[in-house]
Amino acid sequence: MAIRAAEGTVGGYTVLTHVPQPLSRPFGSAEPVEHEPIEAISVPTTGVAPPGTGFLDGIQRYAVVGRFGLTPVVRGYVAAAVMGRHEQSLSVESQQSEEFIAVNVQRLSDCQARVLEETGLPLYDTGETEREHPILEVHMAAQLVEARREAVELSAARRYLKTRREGWLVLDGSIAPYVDEDDSPRVLGLVKSHETQFLAGSDLRTALTLAARHRTSVFARRIGEQKEVHSWYLRLWPWEGRDLLFGLVRLERSPSAEAGVEASEISSWMLSERSPLSAPDGRWDRLVYPVRQVESYLRAQIGDWL
Amino acid sequence: MIRFEDRRLIGRVVATEAMPAGPHQFQFWTATDTTIGIGAIVRVDDERGRTVYAVVIDGKAYSDLATPLHDVVAAEGDPAGTAAPTRRTEVRLWTAAVLRQQPEEPVQPVSLAGVMLATREDVEIALRMDAYVRANRSSGLPIGLYTGGGMSAPVYLDSDFLLGPESAHLNISGVSGLATKTSAVEFFLTSIFQKFPAHKGTIAAVCVNVKGPDLCFLDQPGELTAADLEMYTQLEVEPRPFESVHYYAPFKADGVNLNTLRSHPDLIETVEPLVWGLREVLDYHEVLLSRDDIDAKSDAFIDFLADRVVEKEFSDEWGTTHRVRTFSDLERLFRSIFEGLEAQGRSDMWRTHHVATIRKVRNRLLNISTRCKGLVTDDGTVSDLPFGEFEDRAVYVLDVAGMDQLAQDLVFTRVVSQLREQLERRDLGVDHVVVFVDELNKYAPGDGPDTYVRKMLLDISERGRYLGLVLFGAQQFRSQVHRRVVGNAGTTIYGRMDLDELATPGYQVLSPATKIKLATLPKGELMVRHPHFTQPVFVAFPRPPVLAGPAGIQRFPPAKDVAFEEAVVAHLTALDGRIIPGKVKEIIVGHRSDDIRRALLATKRARPDDVVAFFRASLGSPVSRERVERASGSVAKLKSVEDPYAP
Repeated sequence: MAIRAAEGTVGGYTVLTHVPQPLSRPFGSAEPVEHEPIEAISVPTTGVAPPGTGFLDGIQRYAVVGRFGLTPVVRGYVAAAVMGRHEQSLSVESQQSEEFIAVNVQRLSDCQARVLEETGLPLYDTGETEREHPILEVHMAAQLVEARREAVELSAARRYLKTRREGWLVLDGSIAPYVDEDDSPRVLGLVKSHETQFLAGSDLRTALTLAARHRTSVFARRIGEQKEVHSWYLRLWPWEGRDLLFGLVRLERSPSAEAGVEASEISSWMLSERSPLSAPDGRWDRLVYPVRQVESYLRAQIGDWL
Repeated sequence: MIRFEDRRLIGRVVATEAMPAGPHQFQFWTATDTTIGIGAIVRVDDERGRTVYAVVIDGKAYSDLATPLHDVVAAEGDPAGTAAPTRRTEVRLWTAAVLRQQPEEPVQPVSLAGVMLATREDVEIALRMDAYVRANRSSGLPIGLYTGGGMSAPVYLDSDFLLGPESAHLNISGVSGLATKTSAVEFFLTSIFQKFPAHKGTIAAVCVNVKGPDLCFLDQPGELTAADLEMYTQLEVEPRPFESVHYYAPFKADGVNLNTLRSHPDLIETVEPLVWGLREVLDYHEVLLSRDDIDAKSDAFIDFLADRVVEKEFSDEWGTTHRVRTFSDLERLFRSIFEGLEAQGRSDMWRTHHVATIRKVRNRLLNISTRCKGLVTDDGTVSDLPFGEFEDRAVYVLDVAGMDQLAQDLVFTRVVSQLREQLERRDLGVDHVVVFVDELNKYAPGDGPDTYVRKMLLDISERGRYLGLVLFGAQQFRSQVHRRVVGNAGTTIYGRMDLDELATPGYQVLSPATKIKLATLPKGELMVRHPHFTQPVFVAFPRPPVLAGPAGIQRFPPAKDVAFEEAVVAHLTALDGRIIPGKVKEIIVGHRSDDIRRALLATKRARPDDVVAFFRASLGSPVSRERVERASGSVAKLKSVEDPYAP
């Protein structure tokens, strides 16, 4: 094939029909911590999962259940849970959920607001829009639902960390909301999506073309004005012949003086989490089994919501 | 007692469109570390007040692994790779068959509710035992303990359905040595004798010992473990051997040594000889004579003998009056007939019977006392079971283990026929008799010729419950027994089963898991089917309170056969220990051995105060041995009966 002949890589065909949504935050900044420039470092596969680890995940559901005029009334459900792992078995140790109504309160009459309050569900304001826009208002409600999901995740995490005084808490996504927590050094973020690229140039190429069982050097990324977290990429599965991002995760944790050593140890542990495989989930190349189990549990709990 | 509110849910009923819950079967899941297993009884209470009792008949475990390939990928193709840090989520999914619903009507699918382990009271209700155990006049007979989830509960059979009249008979199947069939029956008889209610009448048991020393020590206590004793306590059965056991065994061919393994000097006195004469045998000639050999003409002649000759004054055509009581008398009659015919120069017919037929019948009949030597005597001596005087709660053991199949058939057929006749007349002495016979497949095989024994067993199977004649049959392979015999057994017991046997059509109603459990059942556990139980139930039973055959042989080694004179002395000294052996030997000098045997049997039967005097009187005077000269004169030669066309 011509691409391969020109020293390109081939694979990861995906047939698409729609133009994807624009990325909200495609770029971020990073500072080298371990090496400059970023290097690819082999990770030993002899890692052992530390005992007493918790895994956090959350889910969200929302639906437009009605309208007052053009104003959508959105019902939302969010839930989060932490499953602790002891002697290879997972069990729920912390759980939080919330069901609510999200609506542009400013557009409701007193009577309409009272009717919604009488449902007994909390009423959240999605915020004002410049003009009436039924689709935009649903988008805003969705953002509110996402914010509520992050809130219950944080609440479930706090409860878990307060109960379990030792061991890691692995969560699905960035640890940005947790940087102010006292227990943040025990929190490990496992980021599966790579919408925001913190590296650039050859560093980025090194990161995104990592071979299987390799990690990048640790780098720091800023959270707000004051805080930063350490991060590095890890390739769980070989990507050759597949998409560029296949099996690639980015890990986040609180800054540490032994960043490189700890990154290798954690990476080695994460390689051990490849088994059991979380297939048939489509994200099995980046989704570790315990996080998937938390998600399955939460889905089973909610059942056919609405 | 566990209170309802204290119980912990161990599972939940689940149903999908593909796997719905029905009124007879449903599925539920449990934690992976559950204590329940195949055979466990559970209870489901729904919020509308309906309670369902069910027994677990199948179980499945699976994980969320979509395809084995995912496991291979995760392990990167190396089975010995590092163990996964997380165990996959597993499901324990059980299938339960409904035993009972309360209320009984309307019959509805099982609700999607919580599942609890059954308590002792639940087991009683689930198996519908409450109807006959809790009644004022209980008719429950403990058969074993149901155990499940750390709890055990007695399981009772309804005597009306085990011993009649509602249904009757018990059939037990299982592989030799592992199914503990004999032990189970010994325990059941113990339980029946202790718990059969007095208002239901009297009961006795006749056990046919067809192999080894299995039933030879029912009156001796066996060794029981603490666990056995605990089971006896729970079942409220006393762990003591049978109080009244009567042993019967034929003689060996020598006519004085009993053909039994219960021949230890300490026990031999309790064994009665089983000896029959012509009358006892003639009525059951069909058992002994092959249908292929005995045709209608022979049959007619045997009937003639039975109706007109045996034990009657009978005059032959040559002026001699015969009174045939023994095989010897019969032989004399035959000789008289043949000599008379020869004297008259006739060689074809006697009283419408062809001479060839007469000779054939003579050969076959007289051969019986040879083939069944020890059981059948030529001289008319009889020592039989006490028909008409059977005792309540007594066991009568017929030890025919040392006899050939033909003699075993004869004993079994005659004894059971006699029991049936006497129960019909209500003059046996007891109201119910349990007849236990092992190797039922030999007596009532599913295929092969339609023998007299099989016809008799079919008759008992179908009519016995009305008479109080109950068959406890055991065999390795139920599929090899006539289906009407096993089909009429109201209660069926299964011990450890052979997998090939379980693959036969008779076991199609059992789930695969139940079959596997049956194939691996430990000693002392059984599966029970009883008319009140809508599903088979597994129970454990204690060792019987009697000495097992092998242990009995070790404790009471069989005595060696002794010479004729010594045997006579031994029999008589067993009756009276003061007897001087030399005196007995003096008495029997000059007497024929048949006469000595007859006198000995008469003495044993009578058990007189003065044994020697009675024995001497029974013996009579010594017989002088005289040489009988052949009659002179020529007699026309008969045609050979074997070849009627010979010159």
